[in-house]
Amino acid sequence: MGEILERILADAVEEKEEKKYDVLIIGGGIAGEESALDLAEMGFKVLLVEKEPSIGGHMFLLSKVFPTLDCASCISTPRMAAVAHHPNITLMTYSEVKEIEKRGEGDFRVRILKKPRFVEESLCTGCAQCESACPVIVPKEYDFGLRGRKAAYIPFDTAVPKIAVIDIDHCVFCGQCEMVCPVGAINFLQKPKIIKVKVGAIIVATGYKLFPIGRKKEYMYGKLANVITSMQMDRVLAPTRPYNSVLRPLDGKEPMNIAFVLCSGSRDRTVGNPLCSQVCCMYSIKQAQLLMGALPLADITIYYMDIRAFGKGFEEFYQQAKDMGVIFIKGRIAKIEPTENGDIVVHYEDIENGGKLRKAVHDLVVLSVGLLPNPEIAKVFKNVKLELDEYGWIKQKDENISPVETSIPGVFTAGCIIGPKDIPDTVVEAAAAAAHVAAYLNEVRRGGE
Amino acid sequence: MGNEERRIGVYVCWCGGNISDVVNVEKVVEAIKNEAGVVVARHFMFMCSEAGQKMIIDDIKKYKLNAVVVASCSPKLHELTFRNVVARAGLNPYMYYHANIREQSSWAHSNDPEEATRKAIRHVRMAIAYLRHAEPLEKIRVSATPSVLIIGGGISGLKAALDLSRMGINVYVVEKQPFIGGHLAKIGSIYPYGRKGWEVVSTLVKELRKRDNVVIYTNAEVESVKGFIGNFEVSIRVKPRYFKRMCKRLDEVTKVCPIRVPDEYSYGVKKRSAIILPPYPGAYPELPAIDMNSCTKCMKCLEVCKDSIDFSQEEQIIKLKVGSIITATGFKPYRPKEGEFGYKVYGEVITLPELLSILKQSDSKDRLVINGKEVKDLAFIYCVGSRQKPKGNNDKINTYCSRYCCNATMFTAIKLFERYRGIRQYHVYRDIRTYGKNELMYEKACKMGAVFVKYDENDPPKVYRNNNKLIVKVKDLLTEREELEIPVDLVVLVTGMEPNDNEKLNEILKLPTGRGGFYQEVHPKLRPVETTLAGFLIAGTAQGPKDSRESLLSASAAAAKAAGTVLKGFIELEPFVAFVDPEKCELSKTCIAECPYGAISVKNYEGFGKKAWVNPALCKGCGSCVAVCPVGAIQIRGLTNKQIEDMIKTSAKEV
Repeated sequence: MGEILERILADAVEEKEEKKYDVLIIGGGIAGEESALDLAEMGFKVLLVEKEPSIGGHMFLLSKVFPTLDCASCISTPRMAAVAHHPNITLMTYSEVKEIEKRGEGDFRVRILKKPRFVEESLCTGCAQCESACPVIVPKEYDFGLRGRKAAYIPFDTAVPKIAVIDIDHCVFCGQCEMVCPVGAINFLQKPKIIKVKVGAIIVATGYKLFPIGRKKEYMYGKLANVITSMQMDRVLAPTRPYNSVLRPLDGKEPMNIAFVLCSGSRDRTVGNPLCSQVCCMYSIKQAQLLMGALPLADITIYYMDIRAFGKGFEEFYQQAKDMGVIFIKGRIAKIEPTENGDIVVHYEDIENGGKLRKAVHDLVVLSVGLLPNPEIAKVFKNVKLELDEYGWIKQKDENISPVETSIPGVFTAGCIIGPKDIPDTVVEAAAAAAHVAAYLNEVRRGGE
Repeated sequence: MGNEERRIGVYVCWCGGNISDVVNVEKVVEAIKNEAGVVVARHFMFMCSEAGQKMIIDDIKKYKLNAVVVASCSPKLHELTFRNVVARAGLNPYMYYHANIREQSSWAHSNDPEEATRKAIRHVRMAIAYLRHAEPLEKIRVSATPSVLIIGGGISGLKAALDLSRMGINVYVVEKQPFIGGHLAKIGSIYPYGRKGWEVVSTLVKELRKRDNVVIYTNAEVESVKGFIGNFEVSIRVKPRYFKRMCKRLDEVTKVCPIRVPDEYSYGVKKRSAIILPPYPGAYPELPAIDMNSCTKCMKCLEVCKDSIDFSQEEQIIKLKVGSIITATGFKPYRPKEGEFGYKVYGEVITLPELLSILKQSDSKDRLVINGKEVKDLAFIYCVGSRQKPKGNNDKINTYCSRYCCNATMFTAIKLFERYRGIRQYHVYRDIRTYGKNELMYEKACKMGAVFVKYDENDPPKVYRNNNKLIVKVKDLLTEREELEIPVDLVVLVTGMEPNDNEKLNEILKLPTGRGGFYQEVHPKLRPVETTLAGFLIAGTAQGPKDSRESLLSASAAAAKAAGTVLKGFIELEPFVAFVDPEKCELSKTCIAECPYGAISVKNYEGFGKKAWVNPALCKGCGSCVAVCPVGAIQIRGLTNKQIEDMIKTSAKEV
């Protein structure tokens, strides 16, 4: 968040009316969506709060997903639309939960900051004329900098809601957007608001952060354009991709010899993350298979420590990649170096072939980055403490009996907030959280009668 | 059929590129835009997105459309999405047709874009023909019984029961064994914290027993299931325990019983009598049970527990009404074949579950003694019965990874180091899959001194005896494929999970199974606990290998879905059911004989007298009756003969 927006947010006006919902779900990724839909189907009134301008989380950014190779947009955008249209779900995007106070069982008082889009939500039709008119170009967050976006923009084609937002920190106040908007929705005077709500239970589904791989200096990320992260590679492979083809960033050459470096920022105490990130092996194998389709002549090498294909259908998916000709080398990359033509040299120990130190040249290197906790949400709990484990993931109250309960009765978790996990496990956990909320609310309410 | 003019909107989806990379979507739009009834035709990158949906709704209003075609992916994925879209715009949701031009055109003919495009055009034309004769339909609404049947009383079944009960829903748990608790109750410490498996089970049992809306049947099996989502009629066969009250002399009575068979509660490590005692503290029920498969009715037990044992008890059949059914029948550990890594050839080759049972019983001892010999060196061989390679013959193989075994072994390794000082461990593995936080156990086991040896899947280790030691011979990939001969006192085969033997149940429920034999979910990513049979959910390891924590989550997820069904109090069924034209019907009753669901009976129609009648709640719309009716008096709603005929004619037109 930029300085100007932050200054504007400081003047948020509190709305008088306190709204009531059965459940507050924080985070509109696939976890929050699943929990919301399950609870809504059971008849509960759900408030779903997302801090970004659109729901969707990380999943809709992906190309295809393992092990079914379903197109991620194809299966996640309908969920997003279902959330937006369910009569029992109220959606608040571009909003942040700022404060939660627990008054008693089944009674949480929440203050939510609704950030100004500088676009009237009720008027905007998502026509994107403001976006075309805006002269400012900045790196696009959703493409991890691989392409640009305007300062007045719609986050992406399938955004929910499809409403423009103005990035006030980069806006030059030229007024072009205001002039072209056919419905007069642009409003530079829009104020932030604090919305007060009372809810019976809370699901925290704020997901994870990608490991900032710049921290692992020897991998040269950010220094060498042809060393990219796996998230960038997923964008390159997605239907809504930046280059509409697989190209390497430095010179736009079609890569012919691609390397994946697994455990980049995982299982690595030197960068402070000894945990396994649980998804990198599989998404790398998926990307390798997709690359074989996109670039049939390219060589793909995966440097790994152990291939952790543990979920349903995963092992078969791994074997399929081997059969397709993906090369798997057991060995951890020690060092990455540039060459003059933009190619990349990787140094590794070839463990299964005598343990010799070897060098290999690739024209594009993908760092399969891991997942880190996103514990910020713990700070908003005022009079009760949401406990974290020693790594910063939310602590489970009793993992062996009730894995989605937290240290606070009435507050539950869904998805990666308690530890790295893939989409199937996230969806299961989100539905489990919904079951626990339903049980909790039923008991609290019957107890109160 | 309504004489209003048909105004159709057609929307061709790119599906990102899944369709448009092969099918020329512009050409499709061009080819069909002048078909009779078509008012507007467009193409778009993702019709299913919010933007695509809005486009349809805006068009319906602007062009006064009364029917919509979307040509995109499989109707399984998005038919419902678009029915809801047209409904939101005020149309009847059945004035919609979903043409599948992805699975049936672009994916099937990716090497022939022109033919794929032609086929897509035919599909869209057929959809238009369908809608020309379509009429608004209403969903069939039936009430839902607010209770749920759970098959399987292991950790998953019990957790689902507790969640549902807490939501105020009645729950029936049916367990085949005489005691609930499943595998977890048989295990001592479980990872990651060393909590006792049976203690987790007894905690759940204690919670469940406090509640008045939970009924647990043990020694019981599902006999039949009739009906449909919201309204299942289930019959359950409960076998007698032959114990009517507690006996104080249980120790004695098991001693007088002459029978000794392997005890399933210790994976056969111990022997038991024909009287099965409660196998763990807090077990439910508390009463013992007599196992009639091994009992010879020698009646010696009556001499000790005369007042408690009652051989006159009889089987009971119990009828239940439930709205939804959760199948949580769990797994069975892979049983190595005789001779597989020396199993059953050498007494010192055992499986991981067997080792865990031994450890559970030797809790207090500081020496690990197996077969009367102290174990100082032991080897674990991983992936036994998992990740198997096809061999070319028809042997059933398990190609999947069993997920829990690396974690469980690592935890066991740590426990062994902690308990038995000086023990040496060799872990002969393929990949160590301690995913997520489980990695910490791997790290700890390494630090404590576990030696890891990686074997090639094509050259697995061999186990043989040399003097008083077993030798594990293996080429180690981590040390230049050096051939190691590791002398050990015990070999532990880390066995995977297999689906339970459910032949009888599968015949009754007809749940689909997938590769590996586990129950198949609707969609592995987004609908992991639902099945293609409405009202039937799956939980725990019945769906695929999981550890106990993951089983709990999947059980709760199934509970959430079941609650979604029964809490509303009603179910809406699709209207595609058979209906009789009483004017034509001559009551030949052929349809009644043909219907596999017993949905057709005879009813008195006013003005027509007695004619055949279809119960819409029971009809599945299979069409068998339509085919056999000698006078063509039965049709399926939403799939009338006229619609089908016109679609066939249209499909044959030149493109």
